[in-house]
Amino acid sequence: MSAPDEPVLDVQHVVAGYGDRPVLDDVSFSVRRGEIVVVLGGSGSGKSTLLRCIVGLLAPWKGRVLIVGRDVHAAHGREREAILRNVGMSFQSAALLNSMTVLENVALPILEHCNVDPRTAAMLARMRLARVGLARDGDKMPSELSGGMRKRAGLARAMALDPSLLLFDEPSAGLDPITGRELDDLILDLKKEGTMGIVVVTHELGSINTIADRAVMLADGRVLASGPLEEVRAHPDPRVQAFFNRQTLAEHAGADLVTALERPA
Amino acid sequence: MHGQPVELQAPPELSEQTANALLSDVLRQERARPVVVDCRSLDDPPVIAVARLLRVIEDGRRAGRDVRLAQVPPGLRRRLAGIDADLLAPADAPKRPRGFAALGAWALDAAEAGRRIVQLIGDTLRVLARPFGQSGVKWDRTIEQMTLIGVRGTPIVVFISFLVGVVLALNGAQQLRNFGASIYIANLVAISMSREMAPLITAIVVAGRSGSAIAAELGTMVVSEEIDAMQTMALSPERFLVAPRILALLCMMPLLTVASNAAGIFGGWLIAVTSLGLPSQGYISQTVQWLYVSDVLSGLVKSVVFALIIGFVGVYRGLNVRGGPAGVGLATTASVVTSILLCIVATAVITAILYAAT
Repeated sequence: MSAPDEPVLDVQHVVAGYGDRPVLDDVSFSVRRGEIVVVLGGSGSGKSTLLRCIVGLLAPWKGRVLIVGRDVHAAHGREREAILRNVGMSFQSAALLNSMTVLENVALPILEHCNVDPRTAAMLARMRLARVGLARDGDKMPSELSGGMRKRAGLARAMALDPSLLLFDEPSAGLDPITGRELDDLILDLKKEGTMGIVVVTHELGSINTIADRAVMLADGRVLASGPLEEVRAHPDPRVQAFFNRQTLAEHAGADLVTALERPA
Repeated sequence: MHGQPVELQAPPELSEQTANALLSDVLRQERARPVVVDCRSLDDPPVIAVARLLRVIEDGRRAGRDVRLAQVPPGLRRRLAGIDADLLAPADAPKRPRGFAALGAWALDAAEAGRRIVQLIGDTLRVLARPFGQSGVKWDRTIEQMTLIGVRGTPIVVFISFLVGVVLALNGAQQLRNFGASIYIANLVAISMSREMAPLITAIVVAGRSGSAIAAELGTMVVSEEIDAMQTMALSPERFLVAPRILALLCMMPLLTVASNAAGIFGGWLIAVTSLGLPSQGYISQTVQWLYVSDVLSGLVKSVVFALIIGFVGVYRGLNVRGGPAGVGLATTASVVTSILLCIVATAVITAILYAAT
């Protein structure tokens, strides 16, 4: 076990991208246990790329990603598996395996990664499902669940191995406001347990205001503002203000086809 | 009557063995006496240990023991916080109909499937009945399907048929030589190819190549709500998706069968001339003399029936996909299996009818 105040996630000066196009440029932030850090930014700001870097799917060109003090991208094979076992990820589309029941989905990582009796694994999976309010839905197939239930089942699977770091990709995307709010409450509830650091990637203002302890705002792959939510919200940059006040930026607004057609060519 | 509670100590390390030992301790108690498990030693247990403890409680309760926890320390309390108490509620077993009820449910399902198939065929025929004009067949899509099914399928059909012709000639020659009737290889190859083998080979290849593709493509469209979207736009899937595929199959299957005939007869001829030493001219005139138009026609009739089977099976399986990507896989497999099965049943029935008629 690591020291209680050591960050569970430490992203240090990460530069990453696809091909020769950089998407992230010198991104740094850290997350401690019992804390919710929200990563915000518009479409194309590099949020998803950042998540892919954190879970080890994309190697950064420069910089390091430390999970519970260990560098994900420097490790290989079993060592890397051991590091990633500290990470749980709740995917935007829940990403449940459609050919298995909900319970089998949650029990899968437990059975594969821990040497336990299948019935113990099933009980642990049922505990996780009961934790997210799906105690009676374990025998259903993913296709029989509603969108909100599917997200919660995905969350139960993400929590299966007792991760130190829990990542959420757009938790409330595609959910109605009430279901989205319920999911936010669940995230807050998990934070209270104090054992996990939580990163939420989102652009839902309501959700940000409810759950964020700290915020990291990305724009064009750079960290525009970072710190406690209040500080980020008060940041003078027009892009931050536009985001929080739901305005369009002046450069994007106004240039419509009619004006273009009326203007002399 | 409730007896005095029995107190048991939870072991500090709950491994699989100690949990099983605790469970057998619980089961050793009389049913009437509540069993209280003292958890004092379990402060901040790993989550697997908590799962084992809950299993002991559940198994104990299932066996009729009143198992409870006492002295729950804060670490364990935190582990259990927020978990829905429904976890230990007995699950309502899904009710499966039995006996006559199951038979009835099965019959209702079958009737529903039958209704859907009839409706699908009816809707498609309605489109095919008025092939031209605003609400007629989509000809561009039909031609695209014809390319996929017919043109792209030709090489494999020709190759397989050629080899079947070769094999028929080689096997037949063994037997016919004994009677000095080697020239009848020509009859054997030509008649068995055109009456039976060519339509069946074509059907099996097309069911595997195109029937599966139809089921998979339409199934994926169902899963991603594309079919719903089309219907919402008042675009009929029968006109846009089903009719072009059925029509393409109806046109291309007979053509592929003709190609298969030619390739098979060529394969027979090649073997007869090269390795059996029969005269090329004699083989050809024997074929022309004994192969009747009715033989070829009966094969073509079969190929049209097979086209309808493969088309409607693929479309039906695809449009009735349930349960996401896994459902698409099942539908694709089912479409190939069902079409090949039905084609072979159909060929038996048609052959019997044709022989009875002559």
